[in-house]
Amino acid sequence: MSTERFVIIGNGPAANEAATTLRQRAPQSGITVFGKETTRSYKPHLLPDVVAGRLDAEKIFASPEDYYNERDIQLRLGQKVVQVDFNKYQVILEHREVVSFDGLIIATGGKPRIPEPLEVFEDVMMTLKTTEDARLWIDRLARVDSVLMIGGDLTSLSLTRALINIGKKVFFIIDAESFWPLPFNERLHQEIHARLREKGVDVSSSRKIKRLTQLSDCSIQVETDCADFEVGIVGAFFGLVPDVRFLARSGLDIDRGILVDENLQTRFRNVFAAGDCAQVYNPVIRDYWVSIGYDNARTLGRIAALNMLGGMIAAQASPESIFSLNGVQVNTSWWMEF
Amino acid sequence: MTNASAVDSGFTTIHDRAHPKVIFSTDPSDFDYMKVNVPCQSACPAFTNVPAYIRDIYEKRYGHSYELNRIVNLFPGTLGRICSRPCEKKCRHGEPELGQPVSICHLKRAASDFKELGRPFLSQMFSAIGKSVCIVGSGPAGLAAAHDLNAIGFNITILEAFDEPGGMLRYGIPEFRLPRDVLKNEIETILKMGITLKTGIRAGVDIAFEEIMTEYDATLIASGCYSSNRLGVSGENLRGVYSGLDLVMDISRGKTPDLGKKVIVIGAGFTAFDCARSALRLGAEDVTIFIRGVEEELRVTEDEILDAKREGVKIRGLSLTQRIVGEDHVGAVEFLRSRTGETGPNGRRRIHAIEGSEFLVEADSVIVAVGQSAEPNSAPGAKDGNGVLIGDRNTFKSSTSNLYLTGDFLTGPSTVIESVASGRKAAERIAQDLTGQKFREWVVKMQEAVITDRQRSWDFIPKQEMPSVMPISNRIMDQKVEVEQGLTQDQAFEEAKRCYLCYLHYEIDISKCIFCRYCIDNAPRDCIKLVSSVTLNDNGAIESFWETVDWQKVNAVVIDNSRCIRCGECVRVCPVDCISVTRVELVERNLLAGRL
Repeated sequence: MSTERFVIIGNGPAANEAATTLRQRAPQSGITVFGKETTRSYKPHLLPDVVAGRLDAEKIFASPEDYYNERDIQLRLGQKVVQVDFNKYQVILEHREVVSFDGLIIATGGKPRIPEPLEVFEDVMMTLKTTEDARLWIDRLARVDSVLMIGGDLTSLSLTRALINIGKKVFFIIDAESFWPLPFNERLHQEIHARLREKGVDVSSSRKIKRLTQLSDCSIQVETDCADFEVGIVGAFFGLVPDVRFLARSGLDIDRGILVDENLQTRFRNVFAAGDCAQVYNPVIRDYWVSIGYDNARTLGRIAALNMLGGMIAAQASPESIFSLNGVQVNTSWWMEF
Repeated sequence: MTNASAVDSGFTTIHDRAHPKVIFSTDPSDFDYMKVNVPCQSACPAFTNVPAYIRDIYEKRYGHSYELNRIVNLFPGTLGRICSRPCEKKCRHGEPELGQPVSICHLKRAASDFKELGRPFLSQMFSAIGKSVCIVGSGPAGLAAAHDLNAIGFNITILEAFDEPGGMLRYGIPEFRLPRDVLKNEIETILKMGITLKTGIRAGVDIAFEEIMTEYDATLIASGCYSSNRLGVSGENLRGVYSGLDLVMDISRGKTPDLGKKVIVIGAGFTAFDCARSALRLGAEDVTIFIRGVEEELRVTEDEILDAKREGVKIRGLSLTQRIVGEDHVGAVEFLRSRTGETGPNGRRRIHAIEGSEFLVEADSVIVAVGQSAEPNSAPGAKDGNGVLIGDRNTFKSSTSNLYLTGDFLTGPSTVIESVASGRKAAERIAQDLTGQKFREWVVKMQEAVITDRQRSWDFIPKQEMPSVMPISNRIMDQKVEVEQGLTQDQAFEEAKRCYLCYLHYEIDISKCIFCRYCIDNAPRDCIKLVSSVTLNDNGAIESFWETVDWQKVNAVVIDNSRCIRCGECVRVCPVDCISVTRVELVERNLLAGRL
């Protein structure tokens, strides 16, 4: 397939590793990477440090600016793929452009998970997954004194630390089911609770958010099953969910992520999925798993590219780093990277 | 397609004398045209004229929009809430690069919500025939058949086993999705045409079928599917294991069973979702629906899935039930992981178990909602292995003279709109058999039209979100709080603008065309094609185009109506006015021969 046209959807670690591998192994091929954000690839787990002002935003990029030109990889930023036609092997972009491909790697990664019961308050809550999110946090934090964190993923802990360091009052409502990616139990709950309190965080015993109302630019009313109060910002941190909704009804098998075999191949020829958006059955753990984390994503991106070019490499999951999340096994390297 | 402005050239094409520019066609090629080019109407089992009723909403003619629905599907207010929406799956706005389908169903409800109060309902009535038909069952199929047969002139009696009419609409769909007053009004509209309804009478038990068949000229069984399917695994008889259908019917009758805190629902259809959402309203805190395949292949609507999730229902895919575990009362369910396989002849993916992947999930109660079947009865005639009467799906006849079957009882579980269509078709057949006359027929109606004010920018209007009760706690406090609140008039107007009005057929008159290409240059997508020849199918409909870029070979410039978005740009820019617009609709037409 050396002169084929490869399209990669996504611009994270899996996508970029796949593009790099394809270029190395298929020098004559056309490679196009579609990233819906306008910035080149970066390390999202460093964003809390950017928000806290401890790290320059320029320092989080994963590769130098001319990386793609040097490798003749067409990087199209700010262009969102909204549909894929697997009958015609075409991707369709939000601005209605249609691009044909011979081989496709879907590496769209994850997006912040908002539990469906809270989706109606999505506009009132902030997440932290992109550089644009970080910019918004910096902007809003300049005008508020307090923040309510809901959920409990590792980004939330990292950001909480950062917020306390810059003098903000932090409230925290721990969501037992969303303490992602760690398996939540009473011991962990007590430990997190104690640590947060030690740092001056007001850990709420509320269990449910009933309503969030934006009162003004810098004030949100929070109604819970225990108490009502006002804060400046509400942050939602329920981990990530594979960013695959745009592929609904495309014909791909999608459960939590895109179902692939152990070689990361989807049900369509020359179509692979890699990184946080792929879901694979692993006989060792006797269940499906999705892989989370920067290093895992790079590994899977490389495997998908090699298999696209005829390889038969199986993706491996290490049982020690696998946790259960809402009935889906999650393989993560992310929490260890902290 | 037959040109509306052309002279009548076929034996099946009839001019309407009162409206000379209207053509009614029964030419197979015109029906084929409808299938390809007006996919929403063709996808509706009742052939609801979707583009026309949506255009009515845009013009704020809600009552007329309601009537366009009612004449074929009889329950617009009901279906506008609970229809399975096969039309939306075919809506061209949902094709790649065009965005999301139009909310056809929500607009149907808007027509119902905003129609003028007191508007009379018009049914095309024929004079009395002097013959009678007994219909067993007052669900959607039975009521639809009763309506049509009554309008044709038959005396109709419906026997209903339950206390109230409506069948699955009344007893199988929770009130939070279908308020009973809406259903009651639409049923009464049908009944007050002069239909006799006898409730609390179970045919074959309270009255013998032989007696019914002696008294009436024909009998139509439309008694639905009320026998719940079983999983066939061990533990299914434990306390705490419920049949999904029995549960929703109990709740509809006002019962409030205690399901405990942790509930497992097994199944993938509307009943499974209704059970899960009802369980939350009964006080359950942790409700999970386990499905064999993936969420993508669920048969329920996306709105239903989203609403269930918003309320807190979890869906766990790729799980096959192995056994239900417990000593006396259910304690857990053991599942096996599954994987999707090849696509079967029914278009659905086969599901395969993954050996060695067993896992246990604890539960206080388990609701099994894996479909239902027709119940055996004592009616005479050929029966299947389960003792259920069988019939011909095309003629609706059983093996016994003048005994007909329809709806779910004939076909097995289907959707409400399929049942309505089935009931109407059975009525047509019975009328024909008893009188030797054909009363109605479906025709393709064509009439000259002009371009509309539809604008290209309307393609980019986002799908309007259905307002619903918030916060969630206000929904689940009561089984009777309707969750969806209905689009506002402004929302309905915006949503109606999104419709591509596929019933408008654009055509270039090649004898006038000067091949200037203005239309092609202004086309928003590849809807206008330079063509060397066309391929016709066996019915004479255009099957495909042979496109060419070589001007020497161009024989026609063709508008591909399956790609046209009715923006009208081609008509506006054409310097020689060679593009015509025809309004093409599938309509039901009364036949003169049927007027006795």
